[in-house]
Amino acid sequence: MTLERLLGGAIYFLTGAIGILAFIYPFFLPVAADGAGLFARSQQAPLLTAVLVGLSVLALTVELQGQAINAKTVAMLGVLVAVTSVLRFLEVAFPLPGGFSPVFAPIILAGYVFGGRFGYLMGTFSLLASALITGGVGPWLPYQMFTAGWVGLTAGWLKRIPGLAGRRSDDSLNLGIGTRALILLAVFGFFWGLLYGVIINVYFWPFATGPVDQTWAPGISLGETLGRYAVFYLVTSLAWDLFRAWGNVALILLLGAPMAKALTRFQRRFHFEVGSHA
Amino acid sequence: MLDPRVWLLWAMTVLVTASSARNPLYAAVLLLVTMVVGTTCTVNGGRRAPLSPFHFAMIAIPLSALFNSLTGSFGDTVLFALPAWLPVVGGPVTLEAIVFGAVNGLALTVIFSSFAIFNAVTPIRDLIKLTPRAFHDAGIVLSIALTFIPQTTGSLQRIREAQAVRGHRVRGLRDWLPIVMPLLMSGLERSMGLAEAMVARGYGSVSDAAQPLRSQVLLALGLLLLLGGWLAYLFGSSWHLPAIGVMLLGTLLIGSVLWSAGRSVSHTTYRPRRWSYRDSAAVLGCALALTVALSQSEALYYSPYPRLSAPGFDPLIGLGLLGLVVPALVGMRRKEEGQL
Repeated sequence: MTLERLLGGAIYFLTGAIGILAFIYPFFLPVAADGAGLFARSQQAPLLTAVLVGLSVLALTVELQGQAINAKTVAMLGVLVAVTSVLRFLEVAFPLPGGFSPVFAPIILAGYVFGGRFGYLMGTFSLLASALITGGVGPWLPYQMFTAGWVGLTAGWLKRIPGLAGRRSDDSLNLGIGTRALILLAVFGFFWGLLYGVIINVYFWPFATGPVDQTWAPGISLGETLGRYAVFYLVTSLAWDLFRAWGNVALILLLGAPMAKALTRFQRRFHFEVGSHA
Repeated sequence: MLDPRVWLLWAMTVLVTASSARNPLYAAVLLLVTMVVGTTCTVNGGRRAPLSPFHFAMIAIPLSALFNSLTGSFGDTVLFALPAWLPVVGGPVTLEAIVFGAVNGLALTVIFSSFAIFNAVTPIRDLIKLTPRAFHDAGIVLSIALTFIPQTTGSLQRIREAQAVRGHRVRGLRDWLPIVMPLLMSGLERSMGLAEAMVARGYGSVSDAAQPLRSQVLLALGLLLLLGGWLAYLFGSSWHLPAIGVMLLGTLLIGSVLWSAGRSVSHTTYRPRRWSYRDSAAVLGCALALTVALSQSEALYYSPYPRLSAPGFDPLIGLGLLGLVVPALVGMRRKEEGQL
């Protein structure tokens, strides 16, 4: 059992490392650049990155799916993905301000209540299902799935923080989450609202054109690359992403407590089983 | 109708080709190809993107040209200059920057059009069928989600009407609470019933076993090789070929886990779709275009800097790119047959 957990942890770590490298490798290209080979590499790199991200998503999904997924999990995951996809459909049908999206709050809450594994699957499938119904399948989809999966996965880790109110699982009347947990989730939603934009931008930034102080160029140092990306992000994306970040905060603060209460109640109902010795 | 795998290959080929085609003439050929394929192959009732390719082009090309001209002060042909003290946009506005921005917008339009066509011509059920057997459970989750989406949309409408009858009006975020909560609760109740029905029909009675340890070891090893190979590829200029070999080995290990997981799932299809000569013709067309894109990537590239010049055009490369129009030709053939 310990070995299985260790291997599971190693798979999480390795897929995470590949995912992070996929998004930040442009920052290391100057170090890796070797003059004439740069053109060929800059042509091959996006394709190679997409393949590696795709393989990471497949590997992590097969690992999570392999942990004896039962009928209740499958049914609840399917229905919650449907609810989240409808919210995204509303977002497409009635454009909301800036990058505001109602998709992330349910993913964060589900990840927090049901755990990181459920959160990862919900994030990944929500983006996939909503892309299928809104005609949003494209080269950007693996990156969106991977990042949304990590939003749900990391939300599950928050529950391990000691001292959070609402962890009194033995108290059958206390189904919701405490104020401290709610505030933590709101801060977490704000953080991911911005980070989602930062990550999604990086995959096309090295190939974007623009002013010298905002675009990547062969041969510049790592520090300068980070500085230029920061300027690019501040100029082109920050205002847009702030709508997403504050939207997440507002949704979690307004809807978080009752939604978490409902999810926790159903989690208990789903886990209720009559032992064979009864 | 072509096999969904062929359409996926077609969209990916357009993506790869358009990504390297910064020459506006080749990009225009690709746009023409997507327009012909879109007009010939899409049918009414398919899933439409929220924005049509035409509208996307009307937004993307001018916006990209504007953004690039205001923020990129390169090029010899200066049209006018904005005050240098203006942050970000200050400096000369050049014709070359406008052209380069517009070409980028054109390439984006080609990519967007290809995936809009892919979304319109492939039914969702066919896309789910593409799910590998190893992801049987994931496919079921996706099937449930897609089946429940119309019901959830209907529930949302009913809840909104019921709340409206009670005098409830949506004015701000807080007003969504009486709508979202019943929607969530009814969905969760439905999932409870579905789970019971699935268990009653024997779901999970044979495949509810955890993943074998061997699979986990192979997955971890495969991922380690992928990561190591990629790091070597990025940082070790002399380890290029060995790094590719290591990544391929990692891919093989992950593939073997997927294959072994898929073997335990039996899959039957009522009236399986047969591969036709049209599918083969479309695959050959894609292979031709892909060969051209990969072997002539430098010829497909064009830079208007430092002074705008006419882009070159090789008719043979243009002909090779026309391989992507094959789906439209076999589609037309089918229409004629249908009329007969």
